[in-house]
Amino acid sequence: MPFTRINSKMVEARIVPGQRMFSQRGAMLAYRGEVSFTPNITSGQGGVMSMIGRRLANEAAPLMTVEGDGSVMFGHGGHHIHAVDLSGETLYVEADRLLAFDGALRQGTMFMGSQGGVMGVIRGQATGQGLFTTTLQGKGSVAVMAHGGVVELPITPRRPVHVDPQAYVAHRGDVRNKLTTALGWREMVGRGSGEGFQLELSGQGTVYVQASEEKL
Amino acid sequence: MTYPPPPAAPPTPSGGGPVVYDPATLPSNDNVNPYAFSVDLDGQWFLQKGKMIAYYGRIDFHAIGHGPLDRLVAANFHSPLYAADWVVAQGRGKMLLADRSYDINSYDLADGNLTIRSGNLLAYQPGLALKQSIIPGFLTLIGTGKFVAASNGAVHFVEPPIRVDPQALVGWADCPSPCHHYDHSYMRGVLGGLRGLTGIGGASGEEHQFEFTGAGQVLLQSTEVLMGERGSGAVPAQAGPGVPGAGAGG
Repeated sequence: MPFTRINSKMVEARIVPGQRMFSQRGAMLAYRGEVSFTPNITSGQGGVMSMIGRRLANEAAPLMTVEGDGSVMFGHGGHHIHAVDLSGETLYVEADRLLAFDGALRQGTMFMGSQGGVMGVIRGQATGQGLFTTTLQGKGSVAVMAHGGVVELPITPRRPVHVDPQAYVAHRGDVRNKLTTALGWREMVGRGSGEGFQLELSGQGTVYVQASEEKL
Repeated sequence: MTYPPPPAAPPTPSGGGPVVYDPATLPSNDNVNPYAFSVDLDGQWFLQKGKMIAYYGRIDFHAIGHGPLDRLVAANFHSPLYAADWVVAQGRGKMLLADRSYDINSYDLADGNLTIRSGNLLAYQPGLALKQSIIPGFLTLIGTGKFVAASNGAVHFVEPPIRVDPQALVGWADCPSPCHHYDHSYMRGVLGGLRGLTGIGGASGEEHQFEFTGAGQVLLQSTEVLMGERGSGAVPAQAGPGVPGAGAGG
């Protein structure tokens, strides 16, 4: 079920019997009908092994399962919300940025090293995102939180995009990401530009960038 | 209740710089931007202390119960608990209202009623009477007139039946006051019992909502974070840092 945008900080989703949705705990602002909110121990689908995987990967955000028959309005902490509709491709996003997503999407964790090798690992450490990120794949909708509004930038094979790692929200598609450095001797003596690390995304897809350099 | 119209377009600067207003071009009883509201004062308005940020013209601010406007106050202000937080602005001019960059909007009541959190109400016209709701922390406005309210994130109108996160509620109009709704359904059954005993899995954070029924409108804000508490207006000597001549506080 796609998310209806009410305003930049609030979305509404229709909950249909038989389908479930996962959302961050405490993110419900109001609801109609009969909807139940059950705290999720596994932080998503997949059972115990997936839960352990997520805990080890530090991608276990506190989630709740939303089921029933009605419609729910979601919002959290005044953060801006961006709804992404997936039709088969994969979305890569940090687990703590997820506001709500369709239960039908396949959720997994991805090791940063697999997309960028050693530099991918360093990217995770340098930007504080960690070694892993969460992947959502399939047909469904995802609501993602950002600090400040979100801009969508298309990535095409001939036009890679460079993003400040602190302004990066998520990306989708067949995209390779690489941490590039523009470090020189000036960074060593405290006169660096502050833009020493950049994220280069190439391939075919879209990257979502937030209008802020604060995580959330 | 009528939904606030979108703010009028400001005068566009020729040089492409910031918009410069003067008493003639400031909007009349309309938003200047989502965080500031311009009141076209010609008479009196009730105003919460500390919410006026600037004004043009001749305007006097009288405290409730201490000035020449006692008859006006007796007809329109019936809240002894909050009397210390409100003043009456009297005069002619354009007055700008804002509150810590929270979203501000104006609403019209036509022989109607609205119950709103006391911290969210900024100002109202004397055609409305302010009373305390029996629900602690809320004020009820009855009558005909315009009022200005702040919220943490834009306001969204919904109609009952609906259940609302207690911190996302701003107010309601026409429908009866809400009741508490508790949802511990995940604690039922064998698994639920285990959750309760061991605490595994934690809580969803959605165990308690306000439930609205009947016919009316409910005002929600776009976040479950309440606006911050703030003590209202201090005397000039304690006006805080950054104020020239504030004495010991400056």
